[in-house]
Amino acid sequence: MRGKSLLVLLLLAGATVRAQQIEVVSPQPDNVSVTIYRDLFALVTETRTVDLPEGPVTVSFEGVVETLLPASAVATDIGRPLAERNFDYDALTPNNLLARSIGKGVTIMRTLPGSGKVAQVRATVVAANDAGITLRTDQGNEVLHCSGLPEHLTFDEIPGDLHARPKLSIQLAAGQPGKRTIRLSYLARGFAWKAAYVAHLNNTGNRMDLTAWITLQNLTQASFRGAQVQVVAGKLHLLAEENRGTSLTGDSDDYYDESSMDEAREEARQRLASELEPKDPTLQLFSGCYALPIPPEREDRHFEEMREIIVTGFRASAAAMEMKRDAMGIVQAVREELGDYQLYRLPLPTDLNARQTKQAVFLVKPRVKVERFYRFDYDVRWDRSPERTTPESMITFENRKASGLGEPLPAGLVRAFEIHGDREVFLGEASMRDKPVNLPVELGVSKAMDLGLEIDAPSPEVEEVRELKLQDRVDVEVRAFNGKSKPVTLEFRQPIEDDSVTSNSTDLFRRKDGKLVWRLRVPANGTYVLNYRVDWPLPPMDPSN
Amino acid sequence: MLIRPLLFSVGLATSAATALGADASPDREISLTIYNKNIALIEHVRPISAPSGRQRIEFAGVSAQIVPETVSFVAPNVQLIEQNFDYDLLTPAKLMEKAVGSQVRLVRVNPATGAETQETAEVLSTVGGVVLRIGNRIEVLREDNLPTRVIFDKVPENLRAQPTLSVLVNAAKPVKETARLTYLSRGLDWAADYVAVFDEARSVSSFQGWITLKNVSGTSFANARTQLVAGDVNLAESEQEWWNHFQQRRNSNQRAMGTESSGRQQLGDYYVYPIKQLTTIANNQTKQVSFLDADAVKATKGYEISFYGFQSNSDPQSVESRMRFSNSKAAGMGDQLPSGVVRIYMRDARGQPQFVGEDHIGHTSAGSELALKIGDAFDVTVQPTLLATRRITRRKTEYDMSYLVRSARSSASVVTVRQFGLWRENSVIKESIPGRRVDSSSFAWDVPVPANGEAVLTFTISNGW
Repeated sequence: MRGKSLLVLLLLAGATVRAQQIEVVSPQPDNVSVTIYRDLFALVTETRTVDLPEGPVTVSFEGVVETLLPASAVATDIGRPLAERNFDYDALTPNNLLARSIGKGVTIMRTLPGSGKVAQVRATVVAANDAGITLRTDQGNEVLHCSGLPEHLTFDEIPGDLHARPKLSIQLAAGQPGKRTIRLSYLARGFAWKAAYVAHLNNTGNRMDLTAWITLQNLTQASFRGAQVQVVAGKLHLLAEENRGTSLTGDSDDYYDESSMDEAREEARQRLASELEPKDPTLQLFSGCYALPIPPEREDRHFEEMREIIVTGFRASAAAMEMKRDAMGIVQAVREELGDYQLYRLPLPTDLNARQTKQAVFLVKPRVKVERFYRFDYDVRWDRSPERTTPESMITFENRKASGLGEPLPAGLVRAFEIHGDREVFLGEASMRDKPVNLPVELGVSKAMDLGLEIDAPSPEVEEVRELKLQDRVDVEVRAFNGKSKPVTLEFRQPIEDDSVTSNSTDLFRRKDGKLVWRLRVPANGTYVLNYRVDWPLPPMDPSN
Repeated sequence: MLIRPLLFSVGLATSAATALGADASPDREISLTIYNKNIALIEHVRPISAPSGRQRIEFAGVSAQIVPETVSFVAPNVQLIEQNFDYDLLTPAKLMEKAVGSQVRLVRVNPATGAETQETAEVLSTVGGVVLRIGNRIEVLREDNLPTRVIFDKVPENLRAQPTLSVLVNAAKPVKETARLTYLSRGLDWAADYVAVFDEARSVSSFQGWITLKNVSGTSFANARTQLVAGDVNLAESEQEWWNHFQQRRNSNQRAMGTESSGRQQLGDYYVYPIKQLTTIANNQTKQVSFLDADAVKATKGYEISFYGFQSNSDPQSVESRMRFSNSKAAGMGDQLPSGVVRIYMRDARGQPQFVGEDHIGHTSAGSELALKIGDAFDVTVQPTLLATRRITRRKTEYDMSYLVRSARSSASVVTVRQFGLWRENSVIKESIPGRRVDSSSFAWDVPVPANGEAVLTFTISNGW
């Protein structure tokens, strides 16, 4: 009951403060478009119709996302000069309400324990802070909630600069009166999306059916009805929050690889998800009473009415949350180029509700040509001790039309499944970086089973190496053991070392991407042995020395 | 000596509502000069009338983030004795502590009838509970959990609801003067924010500049005369700030310094952006005022990538996409740009601007050339391969590098590949396309790459010291 009457007071207070200037309120957008980025924010673009009077006017936009970044707000198509733009977020909370009531009159409502009658006493707020509320009445000075009586305050009005919800407003100069459609756009935090891929390999392991999904998430309390939703795959240059930028994970330039950036994003996403969760609006005010503690159940009852004041703001979104949980319909997104990025658009307007996760397919490619083999990377300079190890099981493909693909592939997790007899088996997963068209893709999905390697790399005695006029020499022997009933391909790779010379190899090798690559065929239930030598010559004499 | 406190409300004593009324009178003024280093100079001008003699004047409603040592109070015929900034906050516990040794009144309510009984008590101790003497008995307050209210006759003078600034002054005769109070405060900051809508096809970009003013000082300022100063005011810096500055210098996106003057108002070495009308800056408000609107500034897109050593990488690296423009008059802008963040937008297939990236600019004189980083290109990559190294002498090595540039874009592009990692004596021995020396520690090659195709840049560098 009280919650309602206070809400009315709030509106009245809002109206009186802006008395000098006419205020036009736009309660909600006509149309909204949400573009979600991988960096935990979205661009919200709204169109709103307002009826402007001829004189100077303040236009207030209600129902903007609470997490909006004020500096990013842009209002266009207004048709008259814009004097200033304000974003007010002095939220109407019990603490703020009390802090603004210092020196003002309030009424203490005391419930008498025996009769249940409520006694009303007028008081002035002397001080209100985290430690308690001090009041002056006709009797003298006393502290609220320190009496042990059920008591609470009622306020005469809400200070005009406290807002139930954050408010974005623009002040316009005088101009042509009439209806106008204003476009409002702003960046808001609390949105995320990721790509995920499902690869079904066929029996022979030379083709896969690839399905790609967009999983997008709205972590905020805002719900968007009939929104145009799109996601952007791109590595944007972003600045850290502390440098007045948009990123919650620091300057994008500070990341040298994508996996650390992904980790930081995931961490920030979880942090944000819990920050944006609806909070239990419990008051923290009345802890510092000098007397014995008040039994907690009684204390709770005191706050009930206060709580209602702030809950008002949450109610709408809580109701929206319950609406349409079944809106997780599946639609296929359409790709277009946006500058140097890829943009995927959900083809139909959709409801994007508060705290909702939505999925859409953006790619279906059957029978993509793949190759499966096993791989091991060997760093001859550092890994000299004999070792027994396991190669990785790889799935590779060319992202080309000729292979049945040829589509930009945004970074994401690829989960691979294989058909064994009539059953599907999960092979493993690998994270893939952004892959433009024409680039080869290599995914290490698991460690090999029934395929082992022994590497032995002895070096001659130091005297012998010196006699050979070498800095170092190593004779590598690689023994591959295949316990499978079919032959397998093993790629053995070694980075090209400065000045090193590889010779005496028992197999052909080639250079690729700064590595030496041996492609070995290990027979079914058999072994295969590779031998080669690496020499490091002495450094040349410096003629200038 | 009797010190009479005189409440002198300089701004919003307690709330915006009273202040709006109070500040309507024309003889009261507040002016704010806000620097973009989270510091502001605040000046209150108010009439005072005071009797003669020594007295304390209190200023409620000054910024809660006042830097007290910067306060200056000037009023003709009033002599300043001392200045105080009191933080001793009025809390229930303090109220009781300060009542030790003095009398309070206890009001007890009969739960059945609601009848009140009053008693006078002396507070003996407040350590771990309140011990009282009532008549000649000693009691612990509310040990019985029965409702008992404690009433204090007065609130100690030096306990305050809010941090309060006060001055102790002496007036030789009764005065009716205009007083001027100035001080520096934290919690008020501004920066420029730019919105650039880049039209790549037409090679132009629009620029809108906004001054974004943020008030987190804890205080609202009503009808203030406000001016913003752009420039690097020297403030003692933290290590973090120094590091940020260093990073900004190192990753500068300013390619050439400008030498044009703009028509802006100057104050010493700084530029001043006055806000035309009186404005109310509420606490926790972000206010934006437009200061730049350029429709069509020439702008082009370029791809760049830098390598800081001679290494192979089996993962192709995305190239940087940059927007290059000049804030010169000839290019369509002709204005200096205060430090801030530029957010770049491009239009999607439906013509709706979409956000594509942001970059920071320093204070930039008119006529400068800038290359703002938008982001990494999805479809253009470079893969480095170290083909061979040869040690020529102990101090000189030759590197054969190959850079494979791939593009999946539907139009031809040019990628600028920049090679760092050079020592004192360096030269290019062989190159597949002519390059150029950028500075003592880098070379650059502009590699044309066809639509949906590849190009290879190879070169040999002799590097030594």
